[in-house]
Formats: sequence, C-alpha cells, structure tokens
Amino acid sequence: MSTETLVATGNKAHSHGPGSPVPLQARSERPTSYDVDVFPVPNGREEEWRFTPIKALKGLFEDTEPTETPKIDASGPERVTIETVVADALKVLTPQDRPSAIAWKQSPSALAVRIPNEAELTEPVHVNVASLGGRGYTHLIIEAGRHSRGLVIIDHTGAGELASNVEIKVGDGAELRVVSIQQGDHDSLHLAQHDSLVGRDAKLKHVVVTLGGKVVRINANVRYAGPGGDAEFLGVYFAEGGQHHEHRLFVDHEATNCKSNVLYKGALAGDHARSVWIGDVLIRAAAEGTDTFELNRNLVLTEGARADSVPNLEIETGEIEGAGHASATGRFDDEQLFYLQARGIPEDAARRLVVSGFFNDIIGKIGVPEVVEHLHEVIETKLARTAELSASAKAALGQ
Amino acid sequence: MTQTAHPELEGLGNYQYGWSDSDAAGAVAQRGINADVVRGISALKSEPEWMLDLRLKGLKLFDRKPMPSWGADLSGIDFDNIKYFVRSTEKQATSWEELPEDIKNTYDKLGIPEAEKQRLVAGVAAQYESEVVYHQIREDLEEQGVIFLDTDTGLKEYPELFQEYFGSVIPVGDNKFAALNTSVWSGGSFIYVPKGVKVDIPLQAYFRINTENMGQFERTLIIVDEDAYVHYVEGCTAPIYKSDSLHSAVVEIIVKKGARCRYTTIQNWSNNVYNLVTKRATCEAGATMEWIDGNIGSKVTMKYPAVYLMGEHAKGETLSVAFAGEGQHQDAGSKMVHNAPYTSSSIVSKSVARGGGRTSYRGLVEVAPGSHHSKSTVRCDALLVDTISRSDTYPYVDVREDDVAMGHEATVSKVSDDQLFYLMSRGMAEDEAMAMIVRGFIEPIARELPMEYALELNRLIELQMEGAVG
Repeated sequence: MSTETLVATGNKAHSHGPGSPVPLQARSERPTSYDVDVFPVPNGREEEWRFTPIKALKGLFEDTEPTETPKIDASGPERVTIETVVADALKVLTPQDRPSAIAWKQSPSALAVRIPNEAELTEPVHVNVASLGGRGYTHLIIEAGRHSRGLVIIDHTGAGELASNVEIKVGDGAELRVVSIQQGDHDSLHLAQHDSLVGRDAKLKHVVVTLGGKVVRINANVRYAGPGGDAEFLGVYFAEGGQHHEHRLFVDHEATNCKSNVLYKGALAGDHARSVWIGDVLIRAAAEGTDTFELNRNLVLTEGARADSVPNLEIETGEIEGAGHASATGRFDDEQLFYLQARGIPEDAARRLVVSGFFNDIIGKIGVPEVVEHLHEVIETKLARTAELSASAKAALGQ
Repeated sequence: MTQTAHPELEGLGNYQYGWSDSDAAGAVAQRGINADVVRGISALKSEPEWMLDLRLKGLKLFDRKPMPSWGADLSGIDFDNIKYFVRSTEKQATSWEELPEDIKNTYDKLGIPEAEKQRLVAGVAAQYESEVVYHQIREDLEEQGVIFLDTDTGLKEYPELFQEYFGSVIPVGDNKFAALNTSVWSGGSFIYVPKGVKVDIPLQAYFRINTENMGQFERTLIIVDEDAYVHYVEGCTAPIYKSDSLHSAVVEIIVKKGARCRYTTIQNWSNNVYNLVTKRATCEAGATMEWIDGNIGSKVTMKYPAVYLMGEHAKGETLSVAFAGEGQHQDAGSKMVHNAPYTSSSIVSKSVARGGGRTSYRGLVEVAPGSHHSKSTVRCDALLVDTISRSDTYPYVDVREDDVAMGHEATVSKVSDDQLFYLMSRGMAEDEAMAMIVRGFIEPIARELPMEYALELNRLIELQMEGAVG
C-alpha cells in the first residue's frame, strides 16, 4: 500500500482538547436554588424561557422590594388551621427560576393551610389571592396530614404583577385535591411555581384552570416521598387574543410503584392567543414499577392563534409498568362546521358543541361542582366573544 | 441458546467488524487541525481556488462555533488527537482485483463484492479512510446519464454542477461539525439522476475507518432531477482501538419537482467512534424524501436527518431505528421543516436500549408562517429490556402557522415476563425469545430495508441481544 501524508507544521494556535462542557443529561440537572443570583435575568434563548414573552415580565425579573402586598386570605372548616408562618417552614419547594427565587426572598412569611391527620373535610378550603395593581409576591403552604382528605381551591384575581410559590405536602395515605384558578384582569401578569410532595400511598389531584391574565406561567413539579403515590395533573386553559397561557410540568419519579397522569386541554381564539405546554417526566433508575402517561390537546378556534406542545420523557430503568405521552393540536375546521350546519345547527351553536365536546372529559375528571359550574360559564362567555369576533371579521370581508 | 444450534453466533456479543488491517498510512498522518492541514488536503486533491476558500472558511467557523449545548456528552473528543486526512491507496480501483490485498479482504469480509456480483445493487462505492478506493456503476445507468462518483472526482469532472449545489442545503457554518466537515471533507458519493430516470435497484456505498484516532469526513451530494427516483444505501464499520475515532459526515440531497429519493443507512461503527453527522434534504413541489436510518454501532451518535419541504405537497418521511448496548448513546431522531402549504411529514422511531445503553429520540418539527394545511405525525416507541438502560424522548415542536394538524405519540415499554413465558413454553431459549420480541418490535422498519440489509439488521440485533438476559 502506498502512503502519502501531510507534513506536520506544528501550528497550534488553538486547542480543542477533550473536556468540552457536557450538556445537561437529564431534566433533574437543571439548577434549583433559593439564591436569586443562581438564575441570571433571562434573554429568551434559554430552554425554559424560549416560549415566554420575557419583555412583558421585566418587572418580575428585578430583585427589588415589592410595590404592594397582595391580598391573601383563606377560610375553611374549623378543623383546618390557617396561620402565617416563616417562609422556610416546609421547604418542599426549591425555586427553579429567577421569579420564583425572588418571590421566595421577597415574601419573608407564608400562609399555611394545614389539614390535621385523619381529618376528612366535607367543605373545601378557599384561598383568595388578589393583586391590587402593583408588583407583589405570595407564598402559600398546603399540608394534608396523614390519612386526611381535603379540597383546597385557590382563586387568583386582580390587576397587578404577581409571582407566587405554592408548596403542597400530601401526608402518607392522604387524599388531597388542589384547584388553582387564574382569572386575573386582561393586563395582569402571573408567574407561579407549585411544588408537590406526595407521601406513601397518598393521592394528589392538582387542577389548574387558567382563564385570564395577559401572561400566566405556571411551573408545576411533583416528587414522591414514598412508594405507592398517585398524582393526577389536570389543566384547562382558554387563551384569547393577546393572552399567553403557559403551563410547565415536571414529574420526577424516584420512589417505586408510583403513578402519574397528566391531562391538559386548551382552546385558543383570537389574534395572538398563545398557549405553551411543556410536560417533562423523569423516571429515575430506582423508580421501578412506575406508571405514567401525559396527554395534551389543543383546539385552535380562529386564525392567528398558536399552541406549542412539548412532551419530554426520560427513563432510566426498564422495570416500569408503562410510560408514554401524546400531544396534538387541531383546528375547529370548516368540515366539522359544515357537518353540523348541514344538520340545521347554526354556527354559534356548532362551535359551542365542538368546544364543549372537547372539554367534556377533563371537566368530568375535575369533579368539583363549584369549579365546573364556573368553568362552563366562563367558556360560554368566551365563546360568545369568539362568535362576535368571527362575525365582525366576516362582515369586514363582506361575506 | 445452545452454541451448536447457532454456530454463527459462537464467540459473539463481540463486535464482528473489529479487526484492523496493517496501518502504514494512518501511522504517519498528522494529528490535529489547522489552516496548513486544510491547505494540504486541498493541494493534494488539486482543487479549484473556491473550494480551498470554502474549506478555510469552514475551519474558521469550526474554531468559532461552540460545542452543542444540548444532546450527548461529547467531552471525550480530543480534536487535537485526531488524524484529519489519511490516504490509503494511490489511485482508485475500478476492478476488485486491483485493490490492495488488505483493503480487498476488508470489503470481502463485509460482503461488498458479493452484493455487486449478484447484481443486488446498481452501483458500488467503497471508502477506506479518507478516500473512495473502489467504484463501479452499471453501464446502462451510465448511458442514461446517471452520475455516481466519489465526491472528489465529482468536483473534478462536473465542476459547474458541483459548485451550484455544494453547500446549498447545509451552509458552511450550519453547526460546528458541518463546519469541520467542510474544512477537511474527503470522499463520499456524488450522484446525479437526470430528469425522469428511475434507478430501479439501489446505489450502494460502504465506509470504513481503519486507522486509530482517524476522523472520517465524507461528503455526499445527491441531486435527483424532476420526476426521477433513486435509492442510495450506505453502511459503515470500523475496527476497535483503545482510543476514539470521529466520523463527521455531511450529506446534502436536492430532490426536485415530483422526484423521490430514498436514503438508507445502517450505521454499525465500532463502540469507540463518535458519529456526529449532518444530513439534510430539500424537497421541491410534489417531491418525496425518505430517510431510513439505522443506528446500531458507535459510542455516541448524534444524527437527525432533516427534510426541508420547500414546495407545495412535498413530503418527508423518516423511519429511524436505534439500538444502544453497553456504553453506547444513540441520540437520534429527525427534523422536518414545513416551508410551504400542503406539506406533510411523518417520523416513526423505534429504539431498544440494553446493558446500560441509552437511546434518545430527539426530533424537531417546524412549521413556518404561511405553510397552511401542513400535517405532521411523530410516533416514537422505545423498548427496554433490562433495568439499567435508559430511554428518552425529546420531541421539539415549533409551529408558526395556525392552520396545521400536529400529532405526537410516544410509548416506552419493557419486554414482559408474559411474552417471554409464552415463547419459552413453546420451547424457545430465553435469549432467543428476547431476540424474537425485539425483531418483531423493529419489524415495521426492517421491512423497508433492502433484503440483505434487513437480514444484516436482524443479525446485528441478535448479536446485540446475546447475553442480554440471565
């Protein structure tokens, strides 16, 4: 074999030695910290911010004193204790981004709702959070004692900029439902992190209902403190023109034989209506017997709206019951409309039928009458607005 | 499984293509990269000025671009320890006998001349180290105007066609590794199929790395003119050395109006090769691009064959199968970019991880504004056969147009005891049963392969599954 080689000239102006930085290899490697400085002000290119309109959120990235103290109060059955505690009373939550770390630092106390061991509540606990127009922070702790049963409904309203942390601890064998409703005014901003810890053989149903606000971004994370835990995450959102509704989930399976089930459904109508759904699931090597599924569906009702849906799955053991995810974005299309109109159903009613059919299963799963009723009402109002919009659009086109 | 029942599996579970030939060429090739190395490669090939300029631009961009901030762990690559160009033989052979003995033996062991003898393929190219050493195409295709050459010869003989398309699909600075390829590329296939010509049996190329710490940077350019069809198949192997080699190819494909191109790869690099490849096709109106991508070997693979759908009713399809054993990370997937209305894409990915290996499906579906009535479906299935392996699914989606239909689904499952019990109660040994389940799992992709590749894939999987149980 003949050979030919290049003459070495030894020019070593630059070096590419081994040891280039290793990209994050699992979702769990992303930083979490109580220290604000760990999280630089985002520029919008970061994986966790690339879908978010960060310009609108400038104020919530500033590590300064709040300009208001948002109203937060709770009421519920007698057996429930409601009191103000120090911020690090529970520490189930570790901030995952800058606004959460700022909210942690700037709200030195937390409101704690505690359901005693073995208490079975027949009435829900109501927490009302109202932002008055300035920039404020809240911190809420919800603890369900061993073998207790309860329901906590958090209602967010108001006009300001709010960053909130919610910590949820479900004791062994307990069954807790938490519903968080976001219905701020049209120009309000709301960033939240919800961290849950599910005890041995405990059950958590975490429901997010996002109906209002200019930018709403909720990071919901769950971990399991022992085997046999079961967490169900439900979400309903309806974004209209100019609204950004973002929901992020991280289900971290480390204990054995736990279940997680995520179902988020959203509708979008109007120009620049935007929704983002990110569903991360990590099954660690120790989490044998895990059963997990994630589903996100989006229904785009009018032109100019956009839905992003990204499910990510990381699995480090083969000893699992099952794992999967599915996501789809579809349109309320002319065919469906034609089908229904051909059967004598007017356009408005047809649209309502398709949307209520779309939300039907998830609303059934929420199972809290007062929330379901309210949800139906709001969806009706929004659909009426959508119908007006499309009617005026058609009129403008002279159709 | 008894050894006697399967004599072909004896002593296996080892990498079968791990022998190495005497390495006189590689031993003296320079390590590391700089402008002089790039100039030297270009001078050796007596290239036109514009190519040298492009190579130097590639080098500059390679130096400037950061390593990817996502994906696999590439910290083990030592760019200074890689040989960027190794020439193994003075001139290209046109008959098998002309090849130097040890290269010939290599390809005989890989079964290349047999495929040609049996006329299973319309043309064959074999690349050893940096350059194509053997090359043949059927006469009737040549008469029809089909060009099938190694890329270096392509540049010499068809400079205009070459300059028009080279780098048009994957720009020099597309990513760090594409820039590196542009600066030191050598070999690869250059294919042109004229209007309306349908090449009925596949064109085939085989790539082999023999030198330790060798970098192979082949560059493939395929142009399928209007209403034509071609199926291109490539396979890759390398010996096992103590330290790592790098394979960083760039493949550019242009599928013109109404044409169709199918590109099949079965990558079986040895477990010390970093396989970082950029593959991309553009599809004009009504054209179809199909990637069939098998990743069995290598230490780390990062490969996401892409289709840019540029004309109405263009269609992109990827079938991807990945198999990761001990010490392997297959980070593979596909990218579909919808840039015109009424375009459709589909991605089907199947992966199997065992023995602590890791498979990641990583995909991207992008729908640009104005690409209304686009459709995309992504389906990923992963199979885990033990408790120490890892499987990930990262399906990125970026939709800038509202009038589209998108769907994504993924499942990850393990081989159940019931399935194994069922087969074993019918007299099958446990690992045989396991291999059968795995074969069944990837069958939807195996059946899309040419016969000899489907057999090869099944055999590779059997080898990989050896010792997977017990």
